[in-house]
Parts: sequence; structure tokens; C-alpha cells
Amino acid sequence: MADLQDELRTTTEVGAPDPPAAARPERGTGPRSERARRAPALTTETPVEAPVVPADVVQRAHALLAAHPVADGYSGLPKALARLHQYDLELGERSMDTDVPRLRQGHVGALFWALHLPDGPGGDRAVTAALEQIDLVKRVVQAHPDGLRQARTAAQTTDARNCGRTAVLLGPAGATAVGDSPALLRCLHALGLKALTLAGVSWAGEAGLTRFGEEMVHELNRLGVLVDLSGASDATAARALAVSRAPVVFTRSAARALRPHPANLPDELLLRLRAARGLCLVPLTAEQTGPSVRDVADHLDHVRVLAGPECVGLSGTYDSGAAHPQDLGDASCYPHLIAELLVRGWSEDHLALLTWGNVQRVLRGADFAARAAQQRRQPSTARIAWLDG
Amino acid sequence: MTTFAPASSASPSLDRARELLAAFPVVDGHNDLPWALREQVRYDLAARDIAGDQSAHLHTDLARLRAGGVGAQFWSVYVRSDQPGAVTATLEQIDCVRQLIDRHPEDLRAALTAADMEAARAEGRIASLMGAEGGHSIDNSLATLRQLYELGVRYMTLTHNDNVAWADSATDEPGVGGLSAFGREVVKEMNRLGMLVDLSHVAATTMRDALDASVAPVIFSHSSARAVCDHPRNIPDDVLERLPANGGVAMVTFVPKFVLQAAVDWAKAADDNMRAHGFHHLDTTAEAMKVHQAFEETHPRPVATVSTVADHLDHMREVAGIDHLGIGGDYDGTAFLPDGLNDVSGYPNLIAELLDRGWSDTDLAKLTWRNAVRVLGAAEDVARDLRSRTAPSNATPEQLDG
Repeated sequence: MADLQDELRTTTEVGAPDPPAAARPERGTGPRSERARRAPALTTETPVEAPVVPADVVQRAHALLAAHPVADGYSGLPKALARLHQYDLELGERSMDTDVPRLRQGHVGALFWALHLPDGPGGDRAVTAALEQIDLVKRVVQAHPDGLRQARTAAQTTDARNCGRTAVLLGPAGATAVGDSPALLRCLHALGLKALTLAGVSWAGEAGLTRFGEEMVHELNRLGVLVDLSGASDATAARALAVSRAPVVFTRSAARALRPHPANLPDELLLRLRAARGLCLVPLTAEQTGPSVRDVADHLDHVRVLAGPECVGLSGTYDSGAAHPQDLGDASCYPHLIAELLVRGWSEDHLALLTWGNVQRVLRGADFAARAAQQRRQPSTARIAWLDG
Repeated sequence: MTTFAPASSASPSLDRARELLAAFPVVDGHNDLPWALREQVRYDLAARDIAGDQSAHLHTDLARLRAGGVGAQFWSVYVRSDQPGAVTATLEQIDCVRQLIDRHPEDLRAALTAADMEAARAEGRIASLMGAEGGHSIDNSLATLRQLYELGVRYMTLTHNDNVAWADSATDEPGVGGLSAFGREVVKEMNRLGMLVDLSHVAATTMRDALDASVAPVIFSHSSARAVCDHPRNIPDDVLERLPANGGVAMVTFVPKFVLQAAVDWAKAADDNMRAHGFHHLDTTAEAMKVHQAFEETHPRPVATVSTVADHLDHMREVAGIDHLGIGGDYDGTAFLPDGLNDVSGYPNLIAELLDRGWSDTDLAKLTWRNAVRVLGAAEDVARDLRSRTAPSNATPEQLDG
């Protein structure tokens, strides 16, 4: 729980911690001042930033998470585990941010395991890296049958959670994993890939999606693989939002209005996301969201106001090498964040959407769009040379 | 009384052969249709729809598979070993087979196990399995091997025409002298998975090393007998003799340049001619075939027959025994085929020839169906055992071969 602490944990990625709440200039815009109006009594009198969250609120957070666990949109586990010779996620693995006991403590019901690909051009290097990590994820899941279960669809995700397992979803993987080949995409999908990030390839570059890129989005839709746009260029994101027949996701994006990070989304894009009923998964990283729980909550408030409560979710980004905000240091910490949001007056309905419902909706949307598309589209045999010539 | 149908269709043996094949159809160990589709139409499956007659372009289509009494096919997901991107290309080939199965659900059934093969036979569909042709398809990665298995690949030929770093090919210079330590680890991991170790294309040294290393039955997906025709792609007798102890199966191939000595010599000259014209010697595109035809006009091609293949089977039966034989035609992977075995509808002619040579119904059922199904089932049994006792290997060539 959120203990009183005298000083902030220092972070490696950002400069000095934010000034204490009292000294901090009010940012003045919607969500923040709204919060100030709604819950002025809850800000602490002391000059240190250490919100006192009443014990009953923390209890409510736990109760809420027990009913609506967190579907976490990004974990760096495959790469982190590949470096270890030995690990036991079941008993606890202190060298990591994530293990089964902490996933249970944090009420994580589903977790996307990101595949880390080597930098540079794709080809066999990227494909082999993707296959090796898929293999690793499957081995880890098999080795921890009481804690983890692989899921490929919305239904399997719910099923895993109802069996008391954390659903493991494969992805996102960078588009270099599939290169220029829809066939490769189909094979990776057959192996369980559930999200692909449209970046790092010629067909989804700074200029946006090419014709072949649009064909690949159609193929992703046909397969039910989520289109991930975190790290995609603004032009690619805008075009993918328009082209995709299934809701798109940003697996690691916060609000650029609050923190100017390239992966964060400008307000205008958040509004478009709302119209397209996509999903912005806000990362719990000091770099993108800020060094404290309240900073993360500020981003969530902002995204909720602009994109709507149905288009905001959570992305732990644990074990990815990122520095995390204070009190959100590992996968067990979600109750702290939920308690903060309860204090800010988030309704239980909105919190249920934030933690679980929205990811479920997007997964279901992808599965549904796939079934519909398979009725009218043949598997794509397009070649990049034909379309982008 | 002078108008008779052609002798072959009136032959009582041929009718008998068709009856036998209806009960115990052919499991063919190797068909390169996916590669032909890649080369000819870049996987545009509508342009070479195997539901229609493709005899102008392919050795294989559904009607001819049916006419040939084929009940199970290992579709080869072969890719070139002399070009980069083998893993990507292999996955594209796998995707092609999966699409073929999806497009023709009434005729093809995806099969991953011996039980699936039997189920397909019971339903009257053609069990469709996959085999990778060459260790280059896994790029030295056992994780990649496991994912090929996950995608449905049920055998891997350890090499194609070129050596890999850990295994010697029959048609390359000696490298590691058989299998390296990593090569043995690959075999072990294949045993653990239940993926058949295929020893076609590999050097005799590799065959012997693999037979030493494997605890599951091995296969030769498309190889004939070296004692009958001395070509490195064929199996020497000392290796055939080891099959009873191993439990494996040698699937006789029809390729004339491997089974007929005159054709071996002719093929060497033809390959030289192809290379002289700037083509890969295995190229089967229209342009390449033109060059080939021009060569053939000046150099008449020695013709193998059904009887040539039967000679191999007779010999292999002598040496390995009836329980260790099978058929692997290599259709759509070779330009020429013996008379009477010109496409996938030809198998009944071979069975008729063997009937005439006195093979019994039981023998023929083993040759066509039972042996191959038994071998896959045995590999599954070994895998179940090994998986319960051993962990997946992540060894690398650097660790084992230094």
C-alpha cells in the first residue's frame, strides 16, 4: 500500500523529481483542476508528495481489481527472461519486476508479452528472433501451468482469468518480424501472435502507410491480430486509424499534452481514437508519464477526458528496462494506482473499463472483425513490389 | 475381336492394384507442389487451382491424386539452400500448404499425427502433412525447429544438396564427416518433439551418425537403393540393413536420374547444360524447361520404367525387409519421371507391377500405408516419453561445435 515516504525514489531516466505538490504550478487544464475541485480535502497538508490514501479506499481498490483484473498491454518479459539462465516465476523472481505471486498481488488477469526484435532491417534475423521468443514464451507458460495460460482470443483470455490464470497474449512484435510477407504474418499468427506494431518497415514509415501497408492492415484485420500504433509515425497512425476495420491500440502511449514524449499522443489523435473506438494503453514509466502515481493518474484523467472512458487502459511496461514511477515499481503495484483513481472520483464502471473491459472489447472487436473479414477476403498474396513498386 | 482397350487398363493386376489402394492408399513421402506453386505463380492458388486439371503445368492435382490412390501426402516445404532468407521462405511454404488445406476441405485434411492419418483414410480424405527439406530451414536454432513443429512440420531432411554447418550432404564435399555434436543435438530435439528425422539427401556418413543418435525410427522420404543404381542420393545396403533395428522406413523415389544408371549419366550432362545457360539445375520454370527440351532433342533421354522402380523395391525388400519400405515419388520436384509414373495418378501401375512380381496384399498394404503410419506413431510414442523426462534444448552450434 501507499506508505508515507519522505523522499521520492530517484529515477534513472528523468531529471530531478517534480517539485512537491504545494509548490507545483497548477497546470490549469481540465482534468487536473477538476480533480482539485472534486477532492480538495484529500491533498495532503504536508509539503512532501505522499498522498494519504485511506485504508478503506485501498481495500475498495483490491475488491474492484478482484472483480475486474488488470489486462496489461505490455511486458518486456521475453527479452528479460532470455538473459537469465534460470528463473522460477512461480516461487518469485526478485531480479524481475514480474513473477506469478506479484501478478496475483497486482490482480493482473492478462498480460501482453512483447517480442523484442534486433534493431535494423528485418529478414531472417528478425524472424528467427521472433520465433525464438515465441518459443521462450511457450516454454515459460508450460513451465508455470498454475499461474499462466496462453490465450489467443478474447474468449480464451476470459477463460484463463476464470480459471485463476494470468492470460498470456503474444505481442506486440515490431513489423520487422513479418517483413514484407503476409504469409509470414499468417504463420506468426498461427503461432499465437496477437499484436503487431506498425513501425520499422518501409510500408509503415514516416510518410504513412503505403498501399502494401494498407493491405497488411487488412490482413491483420482478417486474422484478428491487433494493430499496435505506439511508436508508429503520426502519419501511419492516422492512416491506420482510418483503414483498420478493427479497433487499433497504442500499447504504450500517454498524453503528449502532459509530457512531450514522441510515443505519447497529441490531443487531436486522442480525439480521433475516441471516434475510432481504439484504445490507448498508458504506460507506467517515469519517462512517458512521470515519476509519481499522481502523474500517471493525471495522464489517465487526460486520456479519459479526451478519448473517453472506453478508450483508455493500462500498460505496465514492466521488465522492459524502463524506470517506473514511485509506488508502481513492479507488477504488484496496480492497487496503488486504482486507489489513487478512486480518490479522484473515478466510478467503478470506469475503473472496470480501464483495467479489464476495454482490452476485452478490443480483443473481441478484433476477433469479430476477423470472422467477418474471413467471409469476404482470401488470404492476401500481395507482394510489396506489386503494390509499392 | 480386334478392338481392345490399351493393355494397361485391361490388365487384371491394375484393377487389383486399384482395389488394394482403395483399402490401403499411398502415403507419399515427398511432393514439391508448394515449391512449384511458388515458382510458377508466386502462390496465386487460383491461377493453379488443383481442383481443376493442372496436367499442363503440374504433376499434381486433386483428381490425379485420387486416381493415383493417394491417401496421405507429406507436402515438402522445401526452400533453396543457396540463398539467404531460408526461415522466411520456409514459413511462406508452410503457409502455402495451410492455404491448400483450407481451400480444399473435401479432399485434404490437415494431419499432425498417425491418428489423424487414419482418420483421414476413414473419411476418404487425403491426409496432408508437411516435411521440411534441409537443416538450413532452422537457421541453427532449435527454438525455430520447435516452432516449425508447432506449425505442423512432421519431418525434416537434415540437409538438401548442400552441407549445413552440422551435417554433411550426399551431394557436397565432406564437411564435419557426418553429424557434428550440434547435429546430434538437432536429432535429439527432433526425437523429443516427435518430428521424423529424414535421411534422404544426406551423406552416408550422416545416415550412420543419425541412426546412431536417433532413438526414434527415421525415414528416407525419397531415396532408392544404391546397390541397384550407384548415385549418392540413394541408400547404401549397410544403412538399409540397419532399418529393422531402428524401425524406420525407406521411401523409394522415382526420379530417373537417381534410379536408372543411364539416366544418372544423362542427367549429369543435362545439368551441365542448364548451368551453361545460366539456370539453376533444378529450375522448372517455362524458360528453363525450354532449354532442357532443346538439350533433349539432341540427346535422347534414357527412359526409366515402372519396372526400374520395382527393381529397387525388390532389392530394398531383400535388404531392409518388407516392414521398412515406403514410397516417395518427388513429384513436382523433378522434371522427368519414369514411364507409367508420369504424374501422381501413376501409383497403381507400380502396385500392379509388384503384384505381377508376386508381392502379396499384406506386403503391399505395408508398402503403401502401414509402414509410414507406424513410423509416425512410433515417433510420437518416443516423443511422449522424452518430453516427460527431458527439457527443450537451447543449445547452439557455438556451444557444441566450438
